[in-house]
Amino acid sequence: MKRITHLTLLVCLLAGVCISGSSTTKPSVAGEEVQRMAALSGRSGGHLVIGQRAEPKTLNPVTATDAISREVSGRLMADLIEINRVTQQTEPALAKSWKVSTDGRTFTLQLRKGIRFSDGHPFDADDVVFSFKVYMDEEVGSPQRDLLIIDGNPITVTKLDQYTVRFTLARPYAAAERLFDGLAMLPKHLLEKPYREGRLAQTWPLNIAPAEIAGLGPFRLKEYLPGQRIVLERNPYYWKIDRDNQRLPYLDELVFLFVGSEDAQVMRFEAGETQVISRLSSDNYKLLSRNQERTRSQLVDMGPSLEYNFLVFNQNDLTSKKLDAIAHKQAWFRDIRFRQAVSAAVDRESIVRLVYGTRGAALWGNVGPGNKLWVNQGIAHPKRSLDSARQLLKSAGFSWNRTGELTDAAGQVVEFSIITSSSNTQRMKMATLLQEDLSQLGMQVHVVPLEFRAMIGRVFQSLDYEAAIMGLGGGDADPNPEMNVWTANGTSRLWNLNPSHPANGWEREIDELMQKQMVTLDYTKRKQLYDRVQQLIAENLPFIFLATPNILAGADAKVGNFRPAVLEPSTLWNADELYVRTPNAESAGAR
Amino acid sequence: MRIRTAALIGLLLVLHLGLLLAGFVAPYSPIAQNRQLSYAPPTKLHFRDYTGWHLRPFVYEWMIAPDGYVEDQSRAYPVSLFVKGHSYKMLGLFDASLHLFGTTEPGKILLFGTDGFGRDEFSRVVYGGQISVAAGIVATLIALILGSTLGMIAGYYGRWLDEAVMGATELFLSLPWLYFLLGVRAFLPLHLSPLRTFFLLTCVVGLIGWAKPARLIRGLVLSIRSRNYVLAATGFGASNLYVVRRHIAPEVMGNLLTQAALLIPQYIAAEVTLSFFGLGVSEPLPSWGNMLSNLQQYSVLTSYRWLMAPAGALLITSVTYYLLADALHSRLKSRST
Amino acid sequence: MRYLGFRFIRSILLLLGVSLLCFLFTEIAPGSFFDEMRLNPQISPETISAMEARYGLDQPWPDRYWRWLRSIARADLGYSISYNVPVAPLLWSRAKNTLLLTISAMVLTWIVSVPVGFWAAVHRGRFADHMVTVVSALVVAIPEVVIALSFLAIAVRWRILPVGGMASVDSDGLSFLAKQSDIGLHMLLPTLILVTVESAIIVRHVRASVLEVLEAPYVHAARALGISQVRLLLRHVLPVAANPAITLLGLSLAGLLSGSLLVEVVCGWPGLGPLILEATLARDLYLVIGGLMLSALFMVGGGLFADALLLLFDPRIRTGGVDAH
Repeated sequence: MKRITHLTLLVCLLAGVCISGSSTTKPSVAGEEVQRMAALSGRSGGHLVIGQRAEPKTLNPVTATDAISREVSGRLMADLIEINRVTQQTEPALAKSWKVSTDGRTFTLQLRKGIRFSDGHPFDADDVVFSFKVYMDEEVGSPQRDLLIIDGNPITVTKLDQYTVRFTLARPYAAAERLFDGLAMLPKHLLEKPYREGRLAQTWPLNIAPAEIAGLGPFRLKEYLPGQRIVLERNPYYWKIDRDNQRLPYLDELVFLFVGSEDAQVMRFEAGETQVISRLSSDNYKLLSRNQERTRSQLVDMGPSLEYNFLVFNQNDLTSKKLDAIAHKQAWFRDIRFRQAVSAAVDRESIVRLVYGTRGAALWGNVGPGNKLWVNQGIAHPKRSLDSARQLLKSAGFSWNRTGELTDAAGQVVEFSIITSSSNTQRMKMATLLQEDLSQLGMQVHVVPLEFRAMIGRVFQSLDYEAAIMGLGGGDADPNPEMNVWTANGTSRLWNLNPSHPANGWEREIDELMQKQMVTLDYTKRKQLYDRVQQLIAENLPFIFLATPNILAGADAKVGNFRPAVLEPSTLWNADELYVRTPNAESAGAR
Repeated sequence: MRIRTAALIGLLLVLHLGLLLAGFVAPYSPIAQNRQLSYAPPTKLHFRDYTGWHLRPFVYEWMIAPDGYVEDQSRAYPVSLFVKGHSYKMLGLFDASLHLFGTTEPGKILLFGTDGFGRDEFSRVVYGGQISVAAGIVATLIALILGSTLGMIAGYYGRWLDEAVMGATELFLSLPWLYFLLGVRAFLPLHLSPLRTFFLLTCVVGLIGWAKPARLIRGLVLSIRSRNYVLAATGFGASNLYVVRRHIAPEVMGNLLTQAALLIPQYIAAEVTLSFFGLGVSEPLPSWGNMLSNLQQYSVLTSYRWLMAPAGALLITSVTYYLLADALHSRLKSRST
Repeated sequence: MRYLGFRFIRSILLLLGVSLLCFLFTEIAPGSFFDEMRLNPQISPETISAMEARYGLDQPWPDRYWRWLRSIARADLGYSISYNVPVAPLLWSRAKNTLLLTISAMVLTWIVSVPVGFWAAVHRGRFADHMVTVVSALVVAIPEVVIALSFLAIAVRWRILPVGGMASVDSDGLSFLAKQSDIGLHMLLPTLILVTVESAIIVRHVRASVLEVLEAPYVHAARALGISQVRLLLRHVLPVAANPAITLLGLSLAGLLSGSLLVEVVCGWPGLGPLILEATLARDLYLVIGGLMLSALFMVGGGLFADALLLLFDPRIRTGGVDAH
């Protein structure tokens, strides 16, 4: 099997060399301002196959919301400013430089001159203005629109000249330049007509003809086979070169194979059919590392991710709903000592060991050790203690009856259910461990696995649940995406959505701090504010934090420049830099 | 023939008795977690040590080693029959603490190893069998009672009643029930205990399954009704009740028994399939279905093969039922001709 | 003929009933397609509601059902929310893959099962028959999902067959013949699973019905009269045993689109099953209903076809004798 793959690869390489097709790089046009990656080198040619858990839904970056679609469309498109996934800092991309006004409200971006889309059409400020018009148009309904509305005011975009664009915000916004990452620049020459006709959201489905789609990313669409795979080929006009002045990307082709499930991904990777695998679970990582000597694959453990898993108790205002049984139990959930007791009883060490196979980290706050820039190292990490849990419960008026069950002051047995998504095996396991932990306090806990959307419906809309295990975070290291989780009217403020009376005490303090850090431009000051937020969260436990998994990824030995990162897309963020080593170089082994 | 049927029935009785007395047969509680013994392989029974052969087997404790587990040969724990262990409720009625076999703590006899939470797989298979087999039997009873009643009505009274029932069966057989069940599970109230939720789902499954038995019974009743001797009896003035009692009922009963022997394993298998889609019994209770659904993960399937034990139990139970069905079927045929 | 016409009308009514119930099912299941976006703290609920309104998801279900019925009349099955393409071509492209798999499996199953069932019945009571009975009982006893997973584990362990998908990644450069054989190799695993599972059932049925005929008085008489075994089997036993077999064939046809759901999901075969399952979990309304209706169409069609065949082959039904089904 491997021999056939090698042979075919060789044939492809030869073919690629012999056929000077449209897919080979174009020589630089005079005046083209490419971006030179001074530390980068690699070998041109070859192709990589990547397995995906499901089929992408669309190639349209305006409407694509699921991670799988964005994984593909992100390789076809480029942004003005990009976040380097390893350093987690912003870098120039299509904008070669930018100036920020002193009040932090105006960004003037200089675009690279002479750059062309993947179909050869030139790129300039008109495309930028058009793209932002599309993103902010309510009729189009892009989910990314909300990113560009700060405090109810949309960002204004002005073209200063053919290669300069100015962005004005209604008020200063910390790390505003991070917003540009993920907002792909669209080709006005292809999309203006559909936009005027009101059908932009329907363009660029998976089966679009390659000639009708163009982007500034390292690859362009070559072929789509429904239900099977999508093939991208090198963009000959890509605007980055390496230190030897070789135009990127190195790869001739990038193939996304729809394999169906994580297990299928692992099987195909082991069989050598795919060369890159990401989002590995610790079980599969262990499985692959057992065969590592034989297959010579590179397996990387990037350390804790930015995601946080937690147990949330329903503290929503239920007076308008007919949920009396739950409302009754909220007296327990709203007592800080009850939540502290639950947190003290959780066996986080077992969660990390049994759920994540030791490849994870326990969490006591919403920012874990993986977020080196923003984590508050001063937060307490108390060890598990059933005794202190019992003390806390006693002080809150709970007691134990003859059969050892926990009862509240009124004599009612403490019994509640925890819902979680049945398709997420890790959270299901956490629920089982929690159930056992809390039973040692005398609490009767039922684990109710629900189908994903049913669970979301209960947590966000009907509010018909008692406790839930969920996960959030993982988007960006910066605190700003978390605004909706912690501010008063935030849409992800799960423990108490849309509070009826204004928050006071710690909730108000968190709200104020988050609003303040959003407009503070200096990193040190922001860190101080956010540290205090984390402290308040850890003390008052709106969520009871559990653990976070490590980011695990793997690649075939012959994949060069493989640099997985903690931020998504962890393995493909530098798809333009990946290359295939020659068969001889394989013996040099992994990095 | 008669001996074989008797033997099969005897085997089934022994199996079911074992499941009923799960507390006695199983050495440990099915939900007791032992977090230091996650995914431990089955304990080996030793009959020989440095002093020679022993009549009574003994076991060693599992020690955590870098790549799995290793036997701690410093201390041997003898295995005995009829030991006192943790207490349980015998048949759900009275407390007991006698177990069929066991060993002294902290030694553990883990015949089928442990699962990811360190729970004894053998105990879980035995307790899980209670739920899985009970689910199969309950669903079968519901399907057969409903199906045979409607089928008999359709077959006996005929004409538009027959058309209506047959139309309903076609509808029920054409619908994709899996998708429906996914929806039903989602909006059941959370306050039901997991066991009750599961049995509710089982009842729904049984209710859906009435269509096939109904068609079979209807066909049977139709053919009996048109037999010569029945026509003759009616000609002689026999009432409907007489015909049903004397001619139809005995044969229908026999057919029902055969169908039951076929349906029970099918519904036990349906429980497994439901569990694969997350619709089975929820933690921490074991059932053969939810234990096997953990094996969907390829890494678990290949690394911890002892977790396939429920599949073995399922196999033995199902095959016994099917062979019984075959035997009953041949007896029925030979009796009616 | 009139009988067939009557059955046809009943089938149409049946399909209408199925469509109504499917709509109701999807209505009962809570949650909508856009719920996944609620988890993203950066998307506002207003945006989500606007998206739902654009697809008409906020309208009451009777309105939606009526509109769907009208568009069916124009052969328009609606739009898929996830893929943003019309449902019908999407369904058909996947249905072709499923049919390829199931038709091959069906043909193989019947080629294998009929002779084996026959043979077992003829050699009843002897070792061969016992083997067939026990093995088929074993296979029927194991749930299909366990068989599928076991075959998959073996195939992966020993690398004998390609796993997943319909064609290899580099199959584009191959010749037509090589491409077909590549598809064939990928088809081998799921087909094997399907054939194993279905043969066990069909063998048992064939054996049972042949046994029944073999014990009929006229067969004994024919044998006593000295007719040769072969002529007996072919001329007298086979036609009668064909009746239940044709019903079974109808059932097999009916299950062409729906019976392979599990195998497709486990083996990663890009057929209709995984598409509908994913669409159900994602609440992609019109794709789900379109897919379910297509399956129902096949089921009803298969039943109708079997009834027509029976009418053709079994004179007893034509002359209105004892109800033979």
